[in-house]
Amino acid sequence: MAEREPIVRFEHISMQFPGVLANDDVSLEIYPGEVFALVGENGAGKSTLMNVLYGLNQPTSGAIHVKGKKVEKQSPSQAIAMGVGMVHQHFKLVGSFTVAQNIALCCEPKKKLGLYDFRAANDTVRHLSEEFGLEIDPTAQVNSLSVGLQQRVEILKTLHRGADVLILDEPTAVLTPQETDELFRVIRGIVRDKGMTVIIITHKLYEVMAISDRVGVMRAGKLVGLKNTSEVNERMLASMMVGREMLHAQLEKTGDTGDERIRVENLQVLSDRMLPAVQGVSLNVRAGEILGVAAIEGNGQSELIEAITGMRPVRGGEVFIDGKSVAGKTPGEIRKLGLAHIPEDRLRTGVSPAASVEDNLLAGKQRTKEFSAAGMHLKRRAVHEYARKLFSQFDIRGAGVGTAAGSLSGGNMQKVVLAREFSLGADILIISQPTRGVDIGAIEFIHKSIVEKRNAGCAILLVSADLDEVFRLSDRIITLYEGKITGHFRAGEIEKADIGYYMTGARTGSEEASR
Amino acid sequence: MKKALRELFSFKRGPKINGGYLLSLAISILLALLVGALIMAASGHDPIAGYSAMLTGALSSKRAIGDTLAKSATLCLTGLATAVAAQAGIFNVGGEGQLYFGAMASALLGAALTGAPAVLAVPLCLLAAMLAGGLWALIPAWLKVKLKVNEVITTIMMNSIAIYFCAYLSNGPLKTTERGIASGTAKIDTSFAFSRVINLSNLTTSIFLSVAIALMVWYLMKKSVTGYEMKLTGENERFAHYMGIPSAKLMLLGMVISGAICGLVGMFEVFGLHKRFIDSVSNEFYYDGMLVAMIMRYEPTGIILMSLFFGILKIGGTGMEKIGIPSETILIVQSIIIFFMAAERGISASVREKRVRRNARIKADAAKGGSEHA
Repeated sequence: MAEREPIVRFEHISMQFPGVLANDDVSLEIYPGEVFALVGENGAGKSTLMNVLYGLNQPTSGAIHVKGKKVEKQSPSQAIAMGVGMVHQHFKLVGSFTVAQNIALCCEPKKKLGLYDFRAANDTVRHLSEEFGLEIDPTAQVNSLSVGLQQRVEILKTLHRGADVLILDEPTAVLTPQETDELFRVIRGIVRDKGMTVIIITHKLYEVMAISDRVGVMRAGKLVGLKNTSEVNERMLASMMVGREMLHAQLEKTGDTGDERIRVENLQVLSDRMLPAVQGVSLNVRAGEILGVAAIEGNGQSELIEAITGMRPVRGGEVFIDGKSVAGKTPGEIRKLGLAHIPEDRLRTGVSPAASVEDNLLAGKQRTKEFSAAGMHLKRRAVHEYARKLFSQFDIRGAGVGTAAGSLSGGNMQKVVLAREFSLGADILIISQPTRGVDIGAIEFIHKSIVEKRNAGCAILLVSADLDEVFRLSDRIITLYEGKITGHFRAGEIEKADIGYYMTGARTGSEEASR
Repeated sequence: MKKALRELFSFKRGPKINGGYLLSLAISILLALLVGALIMAASGHDPIAGYSAMLTGALSSKRAIGDTLAKSATLCLTGLATAVAAQAGIFNVGGEGQLYFGAMASALLGAALTGAPAVLAVPLCLLAAMLAGGLWALIPAWLKVKLKVNEVITTIMMNSIAIYFCAYLSNGPLKTTERGIASGTAKIDTSFAFSRVINLSNLTTSIFLSVAIALMVWYLMKKSVTGYEMKLTGENERFAHYMGIPSAKLMLLGMVISGAICGLVGMFEVFGLHKRFIDSVSNEFYYDGMLVAMIMRYEPTGIILMSLFFGILKIGGTGMEKIGIPSETILIVQSIIIFFMAAERGISASVREKRVRRNARIKADAAKGGSEHA
């Protein structure tokens, strides 16, 4: 492979942001027809390096060569012209447009008189999706699609523009195992049949092992390792990433399961498109246990959580917290029943990005005696001390209490959400995607915190797209498929490999029932 | 430049005020004064004489100082009115109309209560002004909260309704019967009026109320629990809702407070200067205050200070006119200052970026040089 001409060459790339050296003298060659994985913790500089290649960032120093030609003036349109496409972690789609309109953006098919030819656009997308095996409805509005499907639109968009180097920035962070497998199938297909080159940024090491030919490891802006995937294993990669051996401490269960705290009966909830998303779900969660929900993105788990927490109206059925119905209650009223909620989308819901970390940590407690005098005066000094205390307790790094929450890395921002929700004194916890886009060190910490809460007698409902997480933490697991429960298992009753059948609706029932 | 302007006039709250911002604000003002000087020189006036006339016009006599303070108080209250609504996430462009209704309501009540003891009547008139302004502001706020109607459009439209409706009343059914008055409502009982603090100037005892209101608003926005909740609502309404903060109520509250302040500004004009409602009770006072609020990024402390500067600019203009500089030139200078402040964000960002790049390049070169030597 080494004797081949590289398709992309990074030459001593350094990228200085105010206060942060995001890339520190990185040199790297990517060869045509390979799947190259770039791994590293949050803030290691992976995305920055790829943004430089895609022309979003002008490197402070260094140069990039694509197909032997030096890139003079970096810009995304230049990158696209040279055949480089990128799918970002945060999608860049026009939500109110249809799938076809998004994909055809910038090169819209025209009819006579310059009118937009919707049919041609739809047909193009249909052909494209058949050719690459990425199924999608060209006429669906992007806003109404699940995250997994939106990603599909992004990939199709780059393919439509004729990219032969495809950069995927944490593509699996939002996908379930099945969707990930599907994505990998697509990646292998386009590499094998179309001769494309794929650069994939990820946190998940088993994915590196599964999909890549070569792997580069970044730490603190530097490229600290460059290997053929066949020569390494997950443990080696992990220690390169964090500079230490990864912990996989066993998480002990102590304490007994107690009374029922959450009961959901025949719940019906509508999606944003006003279609049934949750269709007759019944479940219960007891004190001192974690009920894990395993489901592929877009099978009703988001709507289920939002209905329980009051963020979305209940269409039919009932949700009871300690026997009290939540119907018609606001999120604030439901919180008063002793519930805390870690939402799936931290930037949009979990924090106020413009507010300081301190103000984010205070939310929910601002009217307690501890922080307000007569419900009027805010005791700033007490708030300050409280925030400091949570900072050390939850190991929040990379900022002071006065920093805007939006400028924190994913892992630290999630710790802010966790710190706030776990300190409210609630003993019913609704936790959604707790470690999505979070680095390994923080994952370990978050998992331990959740288990501690369970051991302290909290009732926990956990939704995660990460099967490892569901299996590691849950006492019981249910699978959701198309808004219905398709399986119900105790921990240890089912293998990770088998649960996929239930998550895709190929099997239904519970292990208990089949016995 | 375009981006900077868009950022300033878009309603989203920008980064906080800090030392860097104050420095670049100072530089913007200096640059603007410099350009203003060039314009004066080009039109045949001595810029130094011009600016000293401005300062004299605003500050040289007791009367001038009184006028400047009165102007600043109006700017400060209207600016804070913008800011308090903005804190809860509503852009109140309708302060002018709320001001008119406050002026009209208090003027009518002030005339109707003629003969009543002032201790009773004046508080009632204050209340009437706050109610009129506040309720007029409640309508667009309610439409936004309940029906998601854009408040910028409704408030602008409601300005026209309020201003022309008041003009109709003061020239039609409610026109004073006094002879020799072309338009305006009946005169209020003069014992209710604010007396002048400095003779011949526009400064009346309402200034004490203005200061009290400014301090209360500052406290609400910066120090109170409600202000904190408003801020979270304004920054991320979904987050506020999720945290159990009654965001809809806070938006209504912010807007009602904003409208009530505007109503009071109208009342101060009537009870301080005109003694009756007249069509020209305000000369776009609210928009000037809104501008101050936007330049100071809706920060109450900054708004209070900046209103003093703008007060000098506005009143100083009359001093410049006296030495023959046309009022148009003064308006140009004022606009340039605002323009430079608007551009400040873009300019300082590009300066910062250049500096970072240069430092990194020096560092990279040094590293390269070092390795070559080795």
